Amino acid sequence: MSTNSIKIFAGNSHLELAQLVASKIGVDLSKVVVLKYSNQETSVTIGESVRDEDVFIIQSGCGEINDNLMELLIMINACKTASARRITAVIPCFPYARQDKKDKSRAPITAKLVANMLTVSGANHVITMDLHASQIQGFFNVPVDNLYCEPSMLKYIKTEIPDWKNAMIVSPDAGGAKRATSIADRLNLDFALIHKERKKANEVSRMVLVGDVNGKVAILVDDMADTCGTLITAAKTLKDKGAIKVYAIVAHGILSGKAIDVINEPYLERLVVTNTIPHEDKKRVCPKIDTIDVSPTLAEAIRRTHNGESVSFLFSHAPE
Amino acid sequence: MRRAKVFSGTSHPELTEHICERLGITPAPVALKKFGNQETSVKIGCSVRNEDVFIIQSGSRNINDHLMELLIMISACKGASASRITAVMPYFPYSKQSKKKKYRGAITAKMVANLLSVAGVDHIITMDLHASQMQGFFNKPVDNLYAEPSIAKWIQDSVPEYSTGVVVSKNAGGAKRVTSLADRLKIDFALIHTDRTRVLRNNSTTTVTPVNEVSTEESISISDEDKNFSFQTSNTTSNNITFAIINDKKYDDEDDLPSSSTSFSEEPLFSEENELNCSNTITLVGDVAGKVAFIVDDMIDKAGSFIAAAEHLMKRCNAKRVYVISTHGILSNDSLIEIEKCKSIHKLVVTNTFPIPLENRHQSTKLEIIDVSATLAEAIRRTHNGESISYLFYTAL
Repeated sequence: MSTNSIKIFAGNSHLELAQLVASKIGVDLSKVVVLKYSNQETSVTIGESVRDEDVFIIQSGCGEINDNLMELLIMINACKTASARRITAVIPCFPYARQDKKDKSRAPITAKLVANMLTVSGANHVITMDLHASQIQGFFNVPVDNLYCEPSMLKYIKTEIPDWKNAMIVSPDAGGAKRATSIADRLNLDFALIHKERKKANEVSRMVLVGDVNGKVAILVDDMADTCGTLITAAKTLKDKGAIKVYAIVAHGILSGKAIDVINEPYLERLVVTNTIPHEDKKRVCPKIDTIDVSPTLAEAIRRTHNGESVSFLFSHAPE
Repeated sequence: MRRAKVFSGTSHPELTEHICERLGITPAPVALKKFGNQETSVKIGCSVRNEDVFIIQSGSRNINDHLMELLIMISACKGASASRITAVMPYFPYSKQSKKKKYRGAITAKMVANLLSVAGVDHIITMDLHASQMQGFFNKPVDNLYAEPSIAKWIQDSVPEYSTGVVVSKNAGGAKRVTSLADRLKIDFALIHTDRTRVLRNNSTTTVTPVNEVSTEESISISDEDKNFSFQTSNTTSNNITFAIINDKKYDDEDDLPSSSTSFSEEPLFSEENELNCSNTITLVGDVAGKVAFIVDDMIDKAGSFIAAAEHLMKRCNAKRVYVISTHGILSNDSLIEIEKCKSIHKLVVTNTFPIPLENRHQSTKLEIIDVSATLAEAIRRTHNGESISYLFYTAL
């Protein structure tokens, strides 16, 4: 008889997070061998039976992003052909999420392509976190649960930033204004917005701060920190406008390129990221980086999905 | 245009006329009517075999009927061996429902996209989608045109002191749209923020509407999830009916409930008392004192939030004049009259993507309609000839 128990598989992208999640749920990671042939093809061997089981595959979109995506697709497909009852792809940081619209002529909507690839390979359900645009949920024909880091962020601000009551929430660009106002509302704080302005052609764009941060602690909020260029220019602008300290809280810390060097510049007090993307090595060279652990949220979402319970609770609460 | 046919749905014949005039053709004959049982009937009046078919259908007050009509027309043309079918939808129906709201929301825009694909559409031309990510809902190419060039041109032509003006977004979600227009006009921008949670706290005298369908247990869970609703059990009623307090719904345009919502009645919220209570929590981020303010959004449905924003700009922030500008003028219920009565709004500017009935237009002296048929016509012409349409993203015609 089938047990229909939880099986959690982890890809190579973020083993640490997968282990945290599995231990929160109280199961061991299921056995899988993922390696590469010498011609660089990915090879997946599922090490235990998944027949009629509820399979969760945790793979984040980071590092060698294409390899990791391919790994995920092959793992889904392997479980599918091995008669898993249901396959849920747990993708803490959705790859290609920024390519979600035709913002320029002839731009590809790669996020949609990734969604199609996941569906075709056999995913029945997707759990992800802080999608760059929540419309990406509509790219799928299968249910997508978009979890939020916001409750964890709020908790962090309240416990780790001593003078948060004198703070301003700042969005580093106009697109993130909604995210920032939502946090500002929840904390009952004011908010401001930074805009890259192109006054005239050929003139270097300058940052314009809309709002007043003089004598306040500024908390920059964004969904993604990649090269951190915008974040640092924003921090610089805030400092120039009289902010006492500038913190940055970001959901997905990709931190590529020169990110570490620019964070080490004196403008930013601390950069807080979640562990949807591994950054332990970066933390060692940059003491300003702090981590919010989101594995409880993911674990709880997996548990609730498995048991067929509502996950709405997680949209406004951070589980321990 | 050789081997091309342009059909018009019944939602916005006036726009089709304008477009066809620009293209120098007449709309292809089609008989659209309803059977006695309200089923839509479509008869294509000419051969479309191997033709490049364009069907122009916008949203309208009878949105479901017109959507159905469009689907049937597409299907009819598909069945009649059209070589390609392009749906021209200046206003995309259900575009506001493009994402899952915090709990169990349907992504109806995605479903509409699926319906269109299943009906047999090969290409979509639309304008100012509520979220441009919606292009990814289709497996077919979608051309999302912008009204921005036309709007910018209108401002430059009609507002003499625009260069010292400020473009204002009335909510955080629209900030990006607004900055884009501000950049184009090379003027400043500002942002209005309505704090819903603080409204909840300040506002004790809210309208109470009975909700019978919702059980007590579930209503508590909803109040956890969404700050807009808070539920309490009334002590005065014996049968334990749950009551809903809906706060500030009229300002909450991103998460607008449909006006004919079955479980929540919104009408009492338009009371004066509520308006006064809520306007206290509006904050302007930026400076408009002594300047002309342009409140810009992609659509204006109900006027409440625009009026509140305009009042705030004029009375508390000393703006010189307020223009309300939006691409899609849906203007449901008595929005036009409300705007007409509001002394703080100088002009209401919309484009003709969405049909506004003639009699309503006469009600308003403040209404200005920008004609975007030239952009749509040019997009159709270029699509037919296989030319690039990028040019239209930057240039007003």
